[in-house]
Amino acid sequence: MPLLSCRNVTKAFGSLMAVSDLSFDLAAGEVLGIGGPNGAGKTTLFEMISGQTRVTSGSVVLEGRDITRLSPVGRCHAGLARVFQLNTGFDSLTLRENVLVAAYYGRAPRRMPGFRIPSEVGDRVQEALCRVGLETRADRPAATLPVIDRKLLMIAGALAMSPKLLLLDEPVGGLTQREIDQVAEVVGRVAADGVTVVLIEHVMRFLVQLSSRVMILHHGKKLYEGDAAGLSRDRDVVEVYLGQGAGREVARLAAGREQGAQHAG
Amino acid sequence: MTAMRRDLLLCGLFAAAALAWPMVSGLRYSVTQTTFFFIWATVVVQWNLVFGISGIFSLAQVALFAIGAYVTAMLGYYLGTSMLLAMPAGAVVAVIASIALGLACLRLYGPYVALLTLCVSQVLYVLIVNDTDCFTHPPAGCMPLMGGVRGFSRFGDLGFRDWLGSGFYIGNYYVGLALLTAAILFSILIIHSPMGLAFRALRDNPVYAAARGVDRFRYQLWIFGLSAFFTGLAGAFYAVNTGVVGPVVFSFPHLLFLLSMIVVGGVGTVWGPVIGAVVLMVADELMRELGDFRDIGMGLILVGCVVLMPKGLSGLFQSLSARLAGPAASAAEKAK
Repeated sequence: MPLLSCRNVTKAFGSLMAVSDLSFDLAAGEVLGIGGPNGAGKTTLFEMISGQTRVTSGSVVLEGRDITRLSPVGRCHAGLARVFQLNTGFDSLTLRENVLVAAYYGRAPRRMPGFRIPSEVGDRVQEALCRVGLETRADRPAATLPVIDRKLLMIAGALAMSPKLLLLDEPVGGLTQREIDQVAEVVGRVAADGVTVVLIEHVMRFLVQLSSRVMILHHGKKLYEGDAAGLSRDRDVVEVYLGQGAGREVARLAAGREQGAQHAG
Repeated sequence: MTAMRRDLLLCGLFAAAALAWPMVSGLRYSVTQTTFFFIWATVVVQWNLVFGISGIFSLAQVALFAIGAYVTAMLGYYLGTSMLLAMPAGAVVAVIASIALGLACLRLYGPYVALLTLCVSQVLYVLIVNDTDCFTHPPAGCMPLMGGVRGFSRFGDLGFRDWLGSGFYIGNYYVGLALLTAAILFSILIIHSPMGLAFRALRDNPVYAAARGVDRFRYQLWIFGLSAFFTGLAGAFYAVNTGVVGPVVFSFPHLLFLLSMIVVGGVGTVWGPVIGAVVLMVADELMRELGDFRDIGMGLILVGCVVLMPKGLSGLFQSLSARLAGPAASAAEKAK
């Protein structure tokens, strides 16, 4: 049984089909990279998976359970954690409190919130902060953070929910090369720990390096689905999205990834 | 020391100082005015939970206060209920009304919440004032169901007159102090609990909060319900303390006076509303002789605070203490 299954998912804004009749499956432990030109429907697809937007038709199934009608909170408790494209956070809260919200409320519904934080929850917060390397700044307010740390803080919040499926929407957009490597390392470790990841990214280096499978969207439809090595050989993908130069770059990156995998093996 | 321990300690110090105040001051006028301070501070401390901590721009608090006052007065007047029962009953009715209002505001954000809640309180005011049908005929003439323009009087008290004679106001003073202390303790507990964390998360970013498992529906109803109990109880105690309840408790200037206390003291902090209540009541007292200039003076204070101290007096204290601690901390670093 696939962990996540999107069946004929469609989102129409009036006559504009943002996502049109899209189906794909995702097995547990996979890392699926989604790319495509601006306006291809990548973020809309995420919104439908995580529940911020209702599907026009089709269904989203997580572990065999239809979650199409669940609220974002319900999907959160079903095991789905999303990291947003914009630098979202609770600005007036400290980093620790930011992660604490997710750790305390993100795993299961709280019928009657208590007056104390259980120590087990506190441990999970500390662990999540350590996993992204923010533990030394835990008591600073989130508003003071630079972009890279805000992205890492969002990831820490998502990890504190111990999700089955992690959705990352452009986790390295607007970052420098060094920062991209830093996030790639964090996400790589998370994936290695067995968390299934879907990521949207324009930075092909990041996408190719991490994804076990790549899907390219165009006008709300699937243009390509397969391994990263096939991207640069697919004429449509090069034409619509990569361009000739980036296509060669992706080919080189994919080759490097395969070599790396062989070395590791 | 955690923030919660510090706040609990401050609350204890405040209560201890206030316990001694009637002995120190000896003036009846200052004691009764302090009793009013307890009432208004209770309202703004609870209002701050909605307005400051949860970021919901609700103006319903004054209406809830009035509901607590009216329910208490009407129970006493029509049914002869003991005030000890009527006061909690008023608070419970305020909680129910507040939850209903919270439901009505669920789909609204920002100023629309202010508009709806203000409407509700003004409609209640108009309904009460315009009702001239006699519900009963007391010796004095005609009594509309909700008391009309004149309102209610002689509906009962807490029995301090029989017990303490002319010193009854001292009894009311200590009841008021107990009320405010309980209200502050309650607010400290909420702010530092996981529940307060959910409220602050929703205030900062509702969409992100939902994606981290915080259900806006549930916690908005919680905050409306929780913040109403002590507000209603303050209204009930106001009724008992003054012995008169009229439509003036719904009035707009009264609402602005209370809202100014939160703004002057510092929105969203534990102690800001209490400080604001002290400052504005003292200022009001000092300007008593100025007639119409009193309102202008109040306006100037409010504008000055908003422009010069956007985080209120408590924000000013915080940045001052941080500045004082700054050199000390860096000196300690050097000493190492």
